[in-house]
Amino acid sequence: MAADSKLTKLQRPQAKLQKSSLFRQSLRKLMHNKLAVSGFGVVVFMFVLCFIGPFFSPYTDNKINMAMMNKAPNLTHWLGTDALGRDILTRVMQAGRISLTVGLASMVLSVLLGALLGAIAGYYRGLADQIIMRVADLLMTIPGLPLLFIFGALLSEWKIPTDYRMYIVMLMLSIVNWPGLARMVRGQMLSLREREFMQAAVVLGLRDRRKLFGHLLPNIVPLLIVMATLNIGGAILSESVLSFFGLGVMPPTPTWGNMIDAANNMIDFQDHPWLWIPPGLSIFATVIAINIFGDGLRDVLDPKQKR
Amino acid sequence: MRKSTILLSSLLLVGSLLLTACSNNSNTNNAAATDNSATVTAAADGATGSAASSSPAPVPAGALSEPYTATDLSKLPAVAQNRTDTIIVGLTDPSGAFTPYFQESGYDGNVSSLLYASLVTVDEKGVPAPELAESWDVSEDQLTYTFHLHKDLKFSDGSPLTADDVAFTWTIQYDKAYDGGSSLPTLNVKGGQAYKEGKATTIEGIKVIDPQTISVTLEKPNATALVVLGSNVLSKAYYGKDYKFGQLEYIKKLHEKPLGDGPYKLEKFIPGQEVRLVANENYFKGKPKTEHFIYKTSEGDVWQFLETGEVDYASFSATDENIEKLKALGYVNILPYTPSTYGYMQVNLKHEQLKDKLVRQALMYGLDRQSIYVDATQGAGAIANIPASPISWAYTEEGINPYKYDPEKAKQLLDEAGWAVGANGIREKDGKPFSIHYLGSKSKNTDIFIAVAKENFAALGIDFQPEVFADFNSLVSKVEGGDYDLVSFSTSMLTDPADGFMQFFDGEITDYENPKFLELYNKALATSDIEERKAVYKELYQLFNDELPILFTSYKKTVYAYNGRIQNLSVSPFIGLAGSLPEWTLK
Amino acid sequence: MSTYLTKRLLYMLVILFAASLLIFCLYALTPGDFITGNIKLTAERKAELREIYGLNKPVLERYGLWMKDAFHGNFGYSLAQQKPVLQLFSDYIWNSFLLAAVSTFLTWVIAVIVGVISAYKQYSWFDTLVMVAIFAAMSLPSFFIGLFLIKILAVDLKWLPPGGMITTGSNATGLAYLKEVVRHMTLPVVVMVLLGLGSLTRYFRSNMIDVLQQDYIRTARAKGLKERKVLFTHALRNALLPAITLVGFELPALFGGSLIIEQIFNWPGIGQLYMKSFGLRDYPLLMGFTMFIAILTVIGTLLSDILYRVADPRVRL
Repeated sequence: MAADSKLTKLQRPQAKLQKSSLFRQSLRKLMHNKLAVSGFGVVVFMFVLCFIGPFFSPYTDNKINMAMMNKAPNLTHWLGTDALGRDILTRVMQAGRISLTVGLASMVLSVLLGALLGAIAGYYRGLADQIIMRVADLLMTIPGLPLLFIFGALLSEWKIPTDYRMYIVMLMLSIVNWPGLARMVRGQMLSLREREFMQAAVVLGLRDRRKLFGHLLPNIVPLLIVMATLNIGGAILSESVLSFFGLGVMPPTPTWGNMIDAANNMIDFQDHPWLWIPPGLSIFATVIAINIFGDGLRDVLDPKQKR
Repeated sequence: MRKSTILLSSLLLVGSLLLTACSNNSNTNNAAATDNSATVTAAADGATGSAASSSPAPVPAGALSEPYTATDLSKLPAVAQNRTDTIIVGLTDPSGAFTPYFQESGYDGNVSSLLYASLVTVDEKGVPAPELAESWDVSEDQLTYTFHLHKDLKFSDGSPLTADDVAFTWTIQYDKAYDGGSSLPTLNVKGGQAYKEGKATTIEGIKVIDPQTISVTLEKPNATALVVLGSNVLSKAYYGKDYKFGQLEYIKKLHEKPLGDGPYKLEKFIPGQEVRLVANENYFKGKPKTEHFIYKTSEGDVWQFLETGEVDYASFSATDENIEKLKALGYVNILPYTPSTYGYMQVNLKHEQLKDKLVRQALMYGLDRQSIYVDATQGAGAIANIPASPISWAYTEEGINPYKYDPEKAKQLLDEAGWAVGANGIREKDGKPFSIHYLGSKSKNTDIFIAVAKENFAALGIDFQPEVFADFNSLVSKVEGGDYDLVSFSTSMLTDPADGFMQFFDGEITDYENPKFLELYNKALATSDIEERKAVYKELYQLFNDELPILFTSYKKTVYAYNGRIQNLSVSPFIGLAGSLPEWTLK
Repeated sequence: MSTYLTKRLLYMLVILFAASLLIFCLYALTPGDFITGNIKLTAERKAELREIYGLNKPVLERYGLWMKDAFHGNFGYSLAQQKPVLQLFSDYIWNSFLLAAVSTFLTWVIAVIVGVISAYKQYSWFDTLVMVAIFAAMSLPSFFIGLFLIKILAVDLKWLPPGGMITTGSNATGLAYLKEVVRHMTLPVVVMVLLGLGSLTRYFRSNMIDVLQQDYIRTARAKGLKERKVLFTHALRNALLPAITLVGFELPALFGGSLIIEQIFNWPGIGQLYMKSFGLRDYPLLMGFTMFIAILTVIGTLLSDILYRVADPRVRL
């Protein structure tokens, strides 16, 4: 099917060579997709803004200023101030550091775990499949809420500094949340391994590792990219959920999630749009951009489209 | 993967629900509608706690001290205009357990307070006043209470209400299977314990003298007994029909079919949506003036329901901005209101650093409470310095230290207590750094507190470690585990001034030992004379204000906004709208 | 197939048993119990109440008691609501189901149609527009869309009610009642569809693009089949295949209720009830509801595996 799947052991050195040019090829193709490039641009811009922007702000100390409460955007505070007179622009940028890191990290973690376990289950079948899928079945029946609170209580008990708690919780969540993706990957695997090109791979006597990583995984990369980009928004929002349960960042440290959460009632929503528009727009722009970029990436990396 | 996203995003709003949920347990009877969530500082915050103003020139705090009358009733939405004999009020979450003494949720208490009348009610100052009982006598030794009921009292089905019903109501609360939150069992009615243990078939201290007269004898005097005894009355013929000692399960089946004697009776309960009430023609003060009354279940933000005319009455935090917004609606009357509660921080007296009175005083001076509770909430709060609500008859400011924000004084006190500034700017004593581990419930007010306190404590040289809990149960468990220095709470509704000290007796605070406190506390309860009690409480408040076994924080301020067509509305801090509701009419 | 089914059913029972134990322990481990939150009680009274409710017994003994009752069909009384757990389910679950069923159905129909068209016209302006719109809908917090629609359609324009399931105090029956409920559920359904549409549409589009490049599609076209037939008979069936695993997963979601939507639109559903019960540690209700969802999850998983096989005979189970 795909050109590179016909390679034999003998041609391996060449294969490597070809792969690097393949990478260049993909890059060139990606550059042609203007939408994807602009998506990537926005993502880079958000990162630069959030990680470098605060250095240019005079309000980084987040000093409380009762005289400047809830001011609409003006010349000294470009995006206005919040209920404690803190500069919203600065807070949005500082919040972005945490939200972006957490969003990406948690997404990568769950996708890796889900893909790996799903692939193993779908490829090896038999006992490995049985064990992995039954554990997945069990995990899927467990409600998340008590888990979160138990995690919270444990972390609090162990006196883990609040700044690190969120990352540990993220890790735990990925461990709990892999079954859905694993099932999906397994399903694809089950279907792929019966396809002609895999039969060819078997006939050629390829090793498992090669079949798995060389032929099967590239075929599910598009699916993974879709799932990963779909979930990044959720991951960014999930940070605010964790903060909400006292498992994430403690106030006064801002995150996009907890900033937007500050306006979840009709009165603030109507009267102080500058409280929720900047963080909302940041999430909005970042998630759209990542999705569009992922979409472009998917098209480029899909082995079936290389013809 | 899909599942995990759904899980996480669905958890987003969960916390606010938890906060409202946690208050359900705490209030039993007599709670004020929509504002009875008074257990945690956070709880009352909800949707209305937004502290904000967009008006260019801020109005001075506490802008509304007088009731405000609607200016333009023609703006009233058509939905509300069309209701002629129905009033709708929002209520967070009635669950359907409408039997007094057997309900777990304060919201059910709101409903049952309209379905059942009390023997004794309280006036707007919290002083006992007659209701079903036209009078009562208290014996010389403060142990025996005799209630004289009105003649011809009837339940809503027309059956007579007599002293037997009262005796039955008191008796079943001493049943060994009784699992409700009533405080009657703590009054120690004579013979109550024997009944509970199955050693007696009746309670010795309860005597029915004639159908209109009943007396009860306590083992120990208690000034709160009158109000506790004088609560709702259950019909013996209805609720006692299947009663056997040790078996109260059957009452659960009657929860949704209440038989009361209050101004309204239940027409229909639609779970999660409405509680429909209809006027009771057998109400002893006469049938209420408005035929239908509906409690509409509405979680969180009621603003849009008021704005679209779906509810007639709602409560909001008294921020200048909320008041402005309500005035702009034009068709609502606004009533300022201070709930009968106070906010405080419980201090972990087991910790060496906080055992020192000077340190506790330093914390009071060093916290900018004006900024946290008044300025940042735009006037929706006031500073508390004693364990009583400003509307209580016992409230006083005489001889009370207001602990005005004074960081210099705080530093001086800390120096005096032996906490010297160490190398990294953090105070130390015996090589131990001064660190404060604070627990709070997740809310906007807590966020404000933490932001300001962090700055304040840093200025004093104290390391501040806040921890926030979205779930009240988790917070309390943490407190019970003793792993904290300070934790924010708010009292539930206080009727008697003695209630303001409850946390020292119900097991929450066990480490404050001061013989003078106990002596004064008991002295205040040993008499029913209000002037006498006032004097004792003044002494108690001064003691607490100086000793600071808890750190006093704030009073909440709210406003009630209601449809301008409603006449004769008033809200009592103690019995909510139940008192005036029978008089409400629609213009 | 039938041995497979028997085996799976046995597994199901084992998993449910393990799950019930695990879930029971989880709830028991969560800090605080039903009594803790009521800080008005004295320590003695707390101990007394724990005795009455049996909360002072060891976890395993409590689990055993619960299991024994459950086998007899007795799920107990809710501690907080003082009602039988099963009655509470029937009071609330159907309201949640109504919202979920309608919105899930609409989401799938729209997602399939839009997904297929935009895959077919990949890179056209329609495709780009749809993608951007879908990403936009996905990247907004649900409370934001909810409040926004309430503000515009309910408060400002007064076209639709701002929340609830029926007009307060209404005694409508029959068709009038139906109309009232439909009016009240419009806004929440719109929001739920908007939120669910994104991932599903993208999913279908992605699958469809894959399928359209397969050899058999080329063969079908070469045979001279009508494009419509190629698209909907040959391509769609294969594109739907991976999605079919999702059908099973929708099952618990149909009955589980949606917390945010129910809260914003004041909908009397089970999601809110579960949250409140969790805050109060109302164990019988929590256990009953979670086990109900667990059973649905397990059934849903089995269902999606079977559907998978039906849709793709190549897959060996």
